[in-house]
Amino acid sequence: MRDIAKRAACGLLLTAAAALGVAACGSDNNSSTSTGSAAATSTTAAAAAQPGKGKPAVTIGTKDFTEEFILGELYKQALEAKGYTVNLKKNIGATEIIDTALTSHKIDAYPEYTGESVATVAKRNEPAKTADEEYQLAKQFYETRGQTVSEPTPFEDVDAIAATKAYAQKHGLTTMEDLKKLGKFSLGARPEFKNRQQGLAGMKKVYGINNADFRQLALGVQYQALDSGKVDTANIFTTDAQLASGKYTVLKDPKGVFGFQNVAFVIDKNKLAQLGGDQFMAVINGVNKLLTTPAITAMNKAVAIDKQDEATVAKQFLTANHLV
Amino acid sequence: MGKGTGRLMHSIIDAFQFIGDNLHFMLTKTVEHLELSFAAIGVAIVIAIPLGVALGHLHKGSFVAINASNMGRALPSLAVISIGIGFLGIGFINVMVALVILAVPPMLTNAYVAVDGVDPDAVEAARAAGMKPSQVLWTVEIPLAVGLMFAGIRTGAVYVVATATLAALAGGGGLGDVIVNQATYGTPGVLAGALMVTALAFLVEGVFAVIQRLLTPKALRHEEGPVDVLLAPAIEGT
Amino acid sequence: MLVQLAQAGPVIPTFQRGSTCERENRHFCWDWFSSHWSNTFVPRLVEHIELVAIAVGIGFVIAMACALIAYRWKWFDGPATGVFAFFYTIPSLAFFQLMVPFTGLTRLSAEIALISYTLLILFRNIVTGLHEVPPDALEAAQAMGLTRNQTLWRVELPLALPAIMAGIRIATVTTISLATIAAFIGVGGLGQPIFNAIQTGFKTQFIAAGVLAVLLAFVADALLVLVQRLLTPWARARVG
Repeated sequence: MRDIAKRAACGLLLTAAAALGVAACGSDNNSSTSTGSAAATSTTAAAAAQPGKGKPAVTIGTKDFTEEFILGELYKQALEAKGYTVNLKKNIGATEIIDTALTSHKIDAYPEYTGESVATVAKRNEPAKTADEEYQLAKQFYETRGQTVSEPTPFEDVDAIAATKAYAQKHGLTTMEDLKKLGKFSLGARPEFKNRQQGLAGMKKVYGINNADFRQLALGVQYQALDSGKVDTANIFTTDAQLASGKYTVLKDPKGVFGFQNVAFVIDKNKLAQLGGDQFMAVINGVNKLLTTPAITAMNKAVAIDKQDEATVAKQFLTANHLV
Repeated sequence: MGKGTGRLMHSIIDAFQFIGDNLHFMLTKTVEHLELSFAAIGVAIVIAIPLGVALGHLHKGSFVAINASNMGRALPSLAVISIGIGFLGIGFINVMVALVILAVPPMLTNAYVAVDGVDPDAVEAARAAGMKPSQVLWTVEIPLAVGLMFAGIRTGAVYVVATATLAALAGGGGLGDVIVNQATYGTPGVLAGALMVTALAFLVEGVFAVIQRLLTPKALRHEEGPVDVLLAPAIEGT
Repeated sequence: MLVQLAQAGPVIPTFQRGSTCERENRHFCWDWFSSHWSNTFVPRLVEHIELVAIAVGIGFVIAMACALIAYRWKWFDGPATGVFAFFYTIPSLAFFQLMVPFTGLTRLSAEIALISYTLLILFRNIVTGLHEVPPDALEAAQAMGLTRNQTLWRVELPLALPAIMAGIRIATVTTISLATIAAFIGVGGLGQPIFNAIQTGFKTQFIAAGVLAVLLAFVADALLVLVQRLLTPWARARVG
């Protein structure tokens, strides 16, 4: 029996080692690496068209909402068209989470909004006066931390407060200032929003809105909550597809509490060097250049309203613009 | 490994700090969690117990009643909630319905087995003494079955309290709201939420254990520990 | 038909409009489901099965080893049960997240958590099964001159098989359920469409992924019952 027990203990140790080995081997076999994107069949034959060949794989993450999924797919497919190997990890989480993933090297890069970088990641409270200033602040911050950023996109996707058209008309709401006129009103938002300067905390400080009753909502259900009357107002994003329906009124933000939010691709500096530096960034910048507000809104609509796959939508967009 | 466990210990201390710093908030979430759980447990009891007792009394429907718990145990909880969101949308009701679906099977099976398995001699004696079937049910079968019946309720209750953490994903509130939001509450928050859910589950388990003990006729008592409750389905399943 | 903006603007293709069913977000859009079956749901299903198979397989080996140790050295039983019960009570949403700082957003993190959850059930069932071997059988083996080793492998474990199989069955079904939650840290499986659907509220996705997970669990359960019956025909017909 001693024999058996000893063997059991040895088996236990071996299994533990094997388990780690097997699971670790499968670890990068991720759900979101889509198979067979047509990218590789590029017709320009020169090796210069495939700068990604021979470079290590890059892990790109995205946050937990549709627009970021689309951005992730755009970058992934554009890079793969140039021979890079990309692991796309979608739906990682909010800014705080995904930034930790970046700094702890669980991912190499992700698309971030410049205002978010400054207010939430860098935790700086002074609002920028122009979009470019916001971008420069973000860039400087990341450079001190070992990351670097691409050129920003033309489009901005800013936080905003929205209500149903009926509610807004009933209470005469057109700008954020008007919220002070209400008695107590409910504001639905994801939990991070409550304490952020580019969130409820900022609303209190900049506009003096102290009559909001904060209701926590999971990201993605804001519009359902507005429709069902569960909340009076909700935090939404200005490029959300649902806004095109005309059912909602987005309150103007004259004092710019929500900052400027163009998208820049943040990547670890060392990794970028391994990937070929400028050549890699050129691909990203090539994509970013095309992302105007109409473009991203159309893609958001296709995915969120028409239920198309973000991979398909991204591919169509890139193909139409000759990046794939 | 030392660094890892050091970090973990530090995180656990941070978690308690978190609870202390956010006591009102955590208590609000705990109350939400319990409201949801007890609503579901209550509805499940109302559905499962009368049905199980009736079937057991009539000695009918054994296949369904007994396999209910096996099938219920197999139901992936998030999947049930997901289907619920599809049909009922987000919110309290949806999650409550999903939790009821998950809680009924163990309660039903135990109620059935408990009443069905009451000592036939005792039932015979009662009939011979001239009791009507309904009298037999209330004065003999139920009292003798109550202990095992309650074990099923206890299992269902613990399962509901633990699973109610998923409510956060469907807008149902509760301590899950803290656990899914590492972005806002950090690792200490996630740990704090986890600790409180676990504590709640043990608390509920303990309370029901005491009630079960009080309701079981002395002669039929056999002590079950928390681990046995966790594994009740395992014991049934052999 | 392409929409052209100013000279410098991008070309925005006309994307496919969703069907009426999809745009109105009706409960179940069969067309969407069938067009996404092989490129979305099948890969997720395969990932899910892989996650579960690895977890139960490795969990079984660890639990068996520990059970044999506990069977031989009784003092081991209590602490082992305690540790495994501790793992079991950690809420799964928390467990997966807590692994990430150590082992990243990888399958390894998910597997460590999933394996931990199987250990209590498997360990307790194997130990219980071994302890429930009738003393008569042990005496008979001894009388026949079998060594301790031989007794274990030819008498005790086979007689414990019903309990062991029951444990595997429950562990598998539980792991299928927990693996849906693993998608929270992005490792795929049938939970991934569920978490994605939370973003868009797309009912078909919720229902399709949910139903597939339920079916997977029922099929696995039924198959394991079958295996149990085949492997232990002598076990008296028990309920369930």
